[in-house]
Amino acid sequence: MLVKDYMTRHPIMIGPEKRVVEAQQMMTENRVRHLPVVGDGKKLLGVVNRERLNIPPDKLGSLEVWEITRYLADLTVDKVMLKKGDLQVIAPNATLEEAAELMKQHKLNGLTVVEDDMVVGIITQTDLFIELQELLGATDPGWRVMMRIPARKGEYAKLTTAISDKGWSIMAMGSVRTPKDPDHWDMILKVTDCTKDELMTLLESIEDHQVVDFRETTVYSS
Amino acid sequence: MTQKSGKMDQPVIKVENLGISYETRTGDVEAVKDVTFDIHRGETVGIVGESGCGKSTLAYGMVNYLGRNGKISKGDIIFQGQSLVGRTPEELRQLRGNQISMVYQDPMTSLNPVLRIGEQMTEVLTVHRGMAEKEARKRCEEMLAKVNMPDPARVLERYPHQISGGQQQRVVIAMAMLNNPALLIMDEPTTALDVTVEAAALDLVNNLRRSFDTAILLISHNMGVIARVSDRVGVMYAGELVEMASVKEIFANPRHPYTQGLIRCLPKLGRSKEGSILYPIRGRVPPPANLPPGCLFEPRCDYARDACRQERPALRDLNPVHTTRCLFSEEINADEWTPPPDLVPIIDLNGDKANEVVDTILSVNNLQTYYSHPNSSPLSLIGLGEKEYVKAVDDVSFEVFRGKTLGVVGESGCGKSTLIKTIIGLESKTGGEAEFMGFDIGNRVRERELNLIRELQMVFQNPDSTMNPTYSVGKQIERPLRRFKTVPKEQVRDEVIRLLQAVKLDEFYYDRLPRQLSGGEKQRVGIARALAGRPDLVLCDEPVSALDVSVQAAVINLLLEIQKEFGTTMMFIAHDLSVVRFFSDYIAVMYLGQIAEIGPAEQIYAPPYHPYTEALLSAVPVPDPSAEVKRIRLDGSVPSPLNPPSGCRFHTRCPRRDLLPDGGKICETEVPPWREVGDGHRIFCHIPLEILAQMEPVIHVPEPV
Repeated sequence: MLVKDYMTRHPIMIGPEKRVVEAQQMMTENRVRHLPVVGDGKKLLGVVNRERLNIPPDKLGSLEVWEITRYLADLTVDKVMLKKGDLQVIAPNATLEEAAELMKQHKLNGLTVVEDDMVVGIITQTDLFIELQELLGATDPGWRVMMRIPARKGEYAKLTTAISDKGWSIMAMGSVRTPKDPDHWDMILKVTDCTKDELMTLLESIEDHQVVDFRETTVYSS
Repeated sequence: MTQKSGKMDQPVIKVENLGISYETRTGDVEAVKDVTFDIHRGETVGIVGESGCGKSTLAYGMVNYLGRNGKISKGDIIFQGQSLVGRTPEELRQLRGNQISMVYQDPMTSLNPVLRIGEQMTEVLTVHRGMAEKEARKRCEEMLAKVNMPDPARVLERYPHQISGGQQQRVVIAMAMLNNPALLIMDEPTTALDVTVEAAALDLVNNLRRSFDTAILLISHNMGVIARVSDRVGVMYAGELVEMASVKEIFANPRHPYTQGLIRCLPKLGRSKEGSILYPIRGRVPPPANLPPGCLFEPRCDYARDACRQERPALRDLNPVHTTRCLFSEEINADEWTPPPDLVPIIDLNGDKANEVVDTILSVNNLQTYYSHPNSSPLSLIGLGEKEYVKAVDDVSFEVFRGKTLGVVGESGCGKSTLIKTIIGLESKTGGEAEFMGFDIGNRVRERELNLIRELQMVFQNPDSTMNPTYSVGKQIERPLRRFKTVPKEQVRDEVIRLLQAVKLDEFYYDRLPRQLSGGEKQRVGIARALAGRPDLVLCDEPVSALDVSVQAAVINLLLEIQKEFGTTMMFIAHDLSVVRFFSDYIAVMYLGQIAEIGPAEQIYAPPYHPYTEALLSAVPVPDPSAEVKRIRLDGSVPSPLNPPSGCRFHTRCPRRDLLPDGGKICETEVPPWREVGDGHRIFCHIPLEILAQMEPVIHVPEPV
């Protein structure tokens, strides 16, 4: 689960000499919120996003139509972009957690992925959601079980061995400390190859383990 | 297509109603009309069609690389959200360096012959990305390793001519991938390569696409290549896209008569001339300046109706993933097609097998043809050095029976052409014997008797270079007639016309010049000329490999008919194993100057086979995406015939050596024995027949449900 596996390669980019109007059009037409600005050799120079494209009225001499038109005609991407020095970027070999941390800290929608100064991709919040979905096996059908288990050594193994001993498969698994309850862990499992009753009987037979939620998942998205 | 779930994905490139025209003295000629398609990340779109259909123009047009008289007359190309039409040359140069890469047919045209590979490759990085020389070099080495180049560090030190053609093409592909392009345009990338190298190059394309998420536009005339690597296929005809669908759909359920025709004229691997007939598409692609008023394919179409002549059909959706440009796509079914009578070749498919007399016409025993090679030692300058020999043909024995065809296959550098040249007397033999109808033909052609020369004739690969451009067609065919005195002088003209008719050309071709003929017509003249002396043995050196598929089918049918009519015996060289299989009665597989396996055609294509034959078969691009092909790839290229490996010559590349005890130690030291399978089928291998017979067939074509 590294950035390079989840990023979008070959993102749409723009040159610094392009006019802002053009950048705006590209972002709208291609539905992107984040446009890396690159020079020769895909070298990262900066980034434009929607906020950078909003022109503060005090920059204009007056609000006269001709004045605004002239100002916009001269305005190029390199004048409004967030310059490279002030920019958060990430390497393709970084983990997704690191990407999430950066986005959270700096309140960003997406990060440019850079290797040796060259833009190799872009990773956005959407990509992180996709990772979360896949982590929990959301796209595959099966039984989605949420178990609450005591925070003790060996409990984790107890649960997984019980399932694998039966010859069923665990498609996906996630675990998190139960919110506001430090003595327990919540585990989410996606189990296949068995019927609902078989699985319930087994899970309820494990000591100290509690089935919090049980449902069948169908495909969320194609 | 591998798309991640739930993610909006804009195509990398979108071509909309693109029209490209060339300015000529007579006005603008539209070479590409109204082409629309898109390519997503990590997707390969194949474009297929005969030559002259505008495939390459499309590829060049997409990067606006059209030359001085070419221009985009209509439509738009949107690459990564930006239009490419009307860009300044500088902007395009940047784009081409940064985001779009191209690979062309002949790797040598993309490589500078006077620069070392390292210098050319690092230039991409130092110029476009301002990288330091040392760093760039390291990058290039890594990239060469990614394209499976053996010993990348050393390759960087070499000049382009010092590596093989397949390696050159890999260097070009590596160079194209250095800047991690979003779009890769490949124009016939494997056409100049051997089948085995081609297979490896196509595997490489597939891997790169997966790991770099590159969108690929692949242009090829070879349906097999398209079937092997594409996700979607577009069929082009006379500058228009006539059908587009997923690769499976195109081959299983073609809905345009042109696509159906293209598929019908391909020989299927594993089919023989007894089992199937090739149906060429009649006529040829209309020149862009002189198009029919209605559907462009109408003059060549079997289903043409009045409606087709009225107006040009528009591209329409048959279903969301299948578009076609035919008014009657729903009605025409490829399976229900019956050939019109004029297309069926007059071949009696069930010849009298029982009454056949097996009469050996050519027998070759231990034939050797060596080329002397200057020794690199300084002694050789004064004539004292030991002579070295390129053993192009080494110890070859076989027989050819009257009225039958012997096919010869193998990679380039295997000595196929040398073998034929020795038989016809263009090269002198070094040892062994060759006997033709009881005459010794060990001498060179100029020492032979006229009658003997007449009996042995040749059809060459490239009809252009074997015809005198200033002589009319009639004169070309007349020459052998006059020289061999086949017919009295006053009948020469009639005889020429008879020969022209035999190769299905009309009388008025008599006064045409070679430049006024198409490739297929030139090859027909070449065949007519070879037949002029009424020879007993015709040697064909790759007679169809320079031709388009539809023309290829017509020429093969023609050769078959001629063979039937005149009872001519043939030797047929081709690198395309499906063509050879289709055409030949017997097949010899050659490797490094020796025959590895020889026998009746149907036996060569089923186990037991020589490991080399197995690898060759596995490399053939099969024009059927549902066929399962065992993946056997040979490493490296054919070793130098100057110093062939000891023991079995194939041991350095043999993938089956471990079937023998000791990992095949014996292969390195001892010359393998001939193993007789029966029916004249012999295999030159250490592995016992029982083990060879247990191998699974290479190609498995599922039966249609």
